[in-house]
Amino acid sequence: MRLHKISALAGVSILAFAACSSSGASTAPSAGGGESAAPPASLGELKLGVTLPLSGGAAADGQPTLKGAQLEVDRINAAGGIGGYTIKLFPLDHAVAGKYNEQQAAQDMQTFVADEAVIGVVGPYNSAVGKVQIPISNSAGLTQCSPANTNTGLTKPEEGALDLRKDFPDRINYIRVAATDSLQGPAMAIYDYDTLGLKNLLIVDDVTTFGKGVADTFQSKFEELGGNVVLRQGAPADTTDFNGIINSQAVEASPPDGVYYGGVVTSGAGLFLKQLRQAGLDIPFTGPDGIVNGSVNDDGSLIKIAGADAAANSYGTIAAIGDFPAKAEFDAAFEEHFSADSDFKTPGAYSGPANACAVVLLEALKAAVDGGAADMAGIREAVRAYASDPANSFDTVLGPISFDENGDTTVPFISFYDVDTAAAGGADWVFKEQQSFGE
Amino acid sequence: MTSSTVTAEARPNRFLVARRSGVGPYLFILALTVVMYFVLGPKQFVNALTIGAIYALVALGYTMVYGIIELINFAHGDVFMVGSFVSLFVLTNILGATGPAPDLATIVYQLVVTFALTMSVVGVLGVTIERFAYRPLRNAPRLAPLITAIGISFILQNVVQLIYGPSPINTPQVIPPSARVDMAGVSIGWINIFIIVTAISLMIGLQLFVSRTKVGRAMRSTASDREAASLMGVDINRTIAITFLIGSALAGAAGVVQGLYFGNITSALGFQSGLKAFTAAVLGGIGNITGAAIGGFMIGFVEVTAANFGFFVWAQAAVFMILIVTLVFRPSGLFGQQLGERA
Repeated sequence: MRLHKISALAGVSILAFAACSSSGASTAPSAGGGESAAPPASLGELKLGVTLPLSGGAAADGQPTLKGAQLEVDRINAAGGIGGYTIKLFPLDHAVAGKYNEQQAAQDMQTFVADEAVIGVVGPYNSAVGKVQIPISNSAGLTQCSPANTNTGLTKPEEGALDLRKDFPDRINYIRVAATDSLQGPAMAIYDYDTLGLKNLLIVDDVTTFGKGVADTFQSKFEELGGNVVLRQGAPADTTDFNGIINSQAVEASPPDGVYYGGVVTSGAGLFLKQLRQAGLDIPFTGPDGIVNGSVNDDGSLIKIAGADAAANSYGTIAAIGDFPAKAEFDAAFEEHFSADSDFKTPGAYSGPANACAVVLLEALKAAVDGGAADMAGIREAVRAYASDPANSFDTVLGPISFDENGDTTVPFISFYDVDTAAAGGADWVFKEQQSFGE
Repeated sequence: MTSSTVTAEARPNRFLVARRSGVGPYLFILALTVVMYFVLGPKQFVNALTIGAIYALVALGYTMVYGIIELINFAHGDVFMVGSFVSLFVLTNILGATGPAPDLATIVYQLVVTFALTMSVVGVLGVTIERFAYRPLRNAPRLAPLITAIGISFILQNVVQLIYGPSPINTPQVIPPSARVDMAGVSIGWINIFIIVTAISLMIGLQLFVSRTKVGRAMRSTASDREAASLMGVDINRTIAITFLIGSALAGAAGVVQGLYFGNITSALGFQSGLKAFTAAVLGGIGNITGAAIGGFMIGFVEVTAANFGFFVWAQAAVFMILIVTLVFRPSGLFGQQLGERA
């Protein structure tokens, strides 16, 4: 008897929940029904969610990125907010034990979805996190703008993106300002082959959505150019001992003149580099944006883990414009704004893109409010529709940005960085050059 | 001296000495070692021995605790992790080391102090855990101490995170990693030699301690039959405490070695290493010291072989596949005994 009661109750609540969410999804800007929540009294607070790994070894990735978004939110609020609303930055940290954690990230996305005041979310940082969050945000129609996701499968239908937005395949709610790995991998392959003159490579990836994906695109381009891959290995995240790979007979038989690591530092890039140098291999260490994460002073950075000396002769890409016209002003504003903080006082490689994401979402919010969206569900949908509309262009710190029909940026850039051990304030990644892939 | 005589006994003393398992497993291991040397080449052989030595040192603690109180001490991997952080504290905060030591005398001094202090501190930690977390539950259902062990594991990990934060931390590599020696034309790191020699000496010492001393005999008798041992005048509590002391001290030594070899440690270290060491212990026959040591080395060899031939992704799967095959064909592990009960 009791069981029956409970299951009946559960059934009712599921029905109620379904009714709520369907009304939320279908509400057009002007059609705010009586069911949807009214806007907060006296046009109070709207929230801009931020979903990043912010603690431990991943802090070097997340913190400078978060601050990029914060800079824009603070600027908007100082200028009086948007249409009478003040904007509150609402960051949630999905690092568990110092590494990004997909389960935690999925929970955080549920939190954002459930909080009606959240009008959009900046993030995530890691492609594997994007993979678990997109189905949730797509189902709810909440806009996500990632500054740093590069895996092609997150947006491109031919790479499986439709599996991620199963609920509403035609409703784009995920946009990104970062270029994809279909550019990032090959760009580094060309850089390795032509600029650095590397012909025989050892390639290792961390067997994640991002790491294996970017290493695959890298390898096919490198081989197409005529390069030779001495050995390709997968070393799962948490690997601490890379000596077996470094000393393998394939490597001994034909010594590589360079290394490509497809992955992120929390998977072990720092330990790999350290052990390479200890084995006496002072060859160029190259990789994607996953290895470009902060200076020798930042906890969890490649340079800190490997040591400044070992990190010399390392090269990495960033899937965004590195030298944008307003860079000097942006850096100065960033450093001034966060000068009182104890760490991460200088912008990271994805601070600018995160700032751009905040600009995109807040501009879309402005358009939504100006367009008459009054209730919360209406605002959320209007933000999504405006931000993902290929016809709209956004004036960001990186320059004008618009998004294609899949949510990818139409002005993709790949930038190249290397480690400068003599940088003022300690060894750090410095910008070398950039390449535009826009039409 | 064959296994058939063993099965006749109701509760054979399987703890520590594998003297009843016959020479079969030893010949098998010896042949395997020779084959591995020729398959991998000297350099990779040394790599495998080094990483295997670390697994083996941790595995010993698992197997000793299981042997004596039949508890799978899931906190043991984190005791090892604490060991690596204690050694970091000793090296940087007490000895003031920042990197490779300048001369041999300093190296020896720093290593001796670090090993002595770390092993003592971690040994005492193990005894404390036993006293307050396991002893009150000694006669409780088997599941209770197991859950407690998992709880202890979380406590240790979180305490270390509170103190040192969750980021990976660099440790001073007292023995310069670049210091290498030419052995028959192959360049081998001094650190590898040091680790292998230290680990094997500790294992031989342990073997002698358990098989030759009075305390060792008390340990074996307690493992064999706790009630009978106490009737014969063995102080059970003290014997179990000593087992935890030694097992944890060995994990502490492994922690020191981990820091010296990799130069980098994290609070998440315990889980992964603990899992591998536990597998090593089961592989060798849990409760059996020789088996655990050889199991540890075997896992090192599986990993390095996989890495060498381009199948590193499959290393974990291979380890567990070997485990399953072992359990199917030799349920009590390579060196374990057939058990009538309590297995």
